[in-house]
Amino acid sequence: MKKLKKADIILAMCLIIAAFALFITFYLFKTSGKKVIVRQNNKTVYSGLLSNDNQINLKHNTVVIKDNKAYMKCADCKNQICVKTGKISKSGETVVCLPNKVIIEIE
Amino acid sequence: MSSKQSDNRNRVTAVCIYALFCCACLIFGYVESVIPTTLIAPGVKLGLSNSVAILLLINKDIKGAFAVNTARILLSALLFGSPFSLLFSLTAGVISIIVSALSFKIKALSPIGVSIIGAVTHNIVQIIIACFVVSLGCVYYLPILVVSGVVTGGAIGFLAMLLFEKLKKIL
Repeated sequence: MKKLKKADIILAMCLIIAAFALFITFYLFKTSGKKVIVRQNNKTVYSGLLSNDNQINLKHNTVVIKDNKAYMKCADCKNQICVKTGKISKSGETVVCLPNKVIIEIE
Repeated sequence: MSSKQSDNRNRVTAVCIYALFCCACLIFGYVESVIPTTLIAPGVKLGLSNSVAILLLINKDIKGAFAVNTARILLSALLFGSPFSLLFSLTAGVISIIVSALSFKIKALSPIGVSIIGAVTHNIVQIIIACFVVSLGCVYYLPILVVSGVVTGGAIGFLAMLLFEKLKKIL
């Protein structure tokens, strides 16, 4: 049987190093965002400053902006991935609820 | 038995084996949905069905691998998915099987390496689609999905090699 070869290990190492390099670049270029945008079905339903505490009630989701952080407080979808994503504050970060097509984005 | 008859019999056997593999893939899909790997990051999964594609590729059956892979994606989208999820899984599935088939030509790589390439390609394609459809922010998931592709791809490639040892008599 063909066993694990040297090239496989080199390939895996290269990919993991590339992933770490990407991660570090992303981390360095992340800056604190200022604006929160909430979109549903690709339409902007809310846009405001991150420093403005607010609560946005949508049909299926509740978005909360508090202490310069935005998060999905609750959603009625099955997987609850968006709720478990936690709080976001840096520019480019997102919370996505695919079943309800709701996105919170920081700019 | 005439040669035409035996040819027909071989074709029937091949169709049955492909159908069995399709069913196995659908069950793998269900098993994966029970294991909560998506908690690590959205999109992280084991990719158990990929073992079937790799198994057929080890057997040098590129057409079969392509057919089974496409059929199981369409079937699982019909049974459990939506047009939206089909867009993700079909493009990623087709591109990753093409890349896997091409990388099988590289002699230095074992099936484990090929499986890693397939899994990482699959994840990268899904990220690219998500960037277009959902938002550019999805690109931040790229590093973790590449690492998970390496880990799961390696494991699945190993599994496919074990399966090939057991199944090569019927293939």
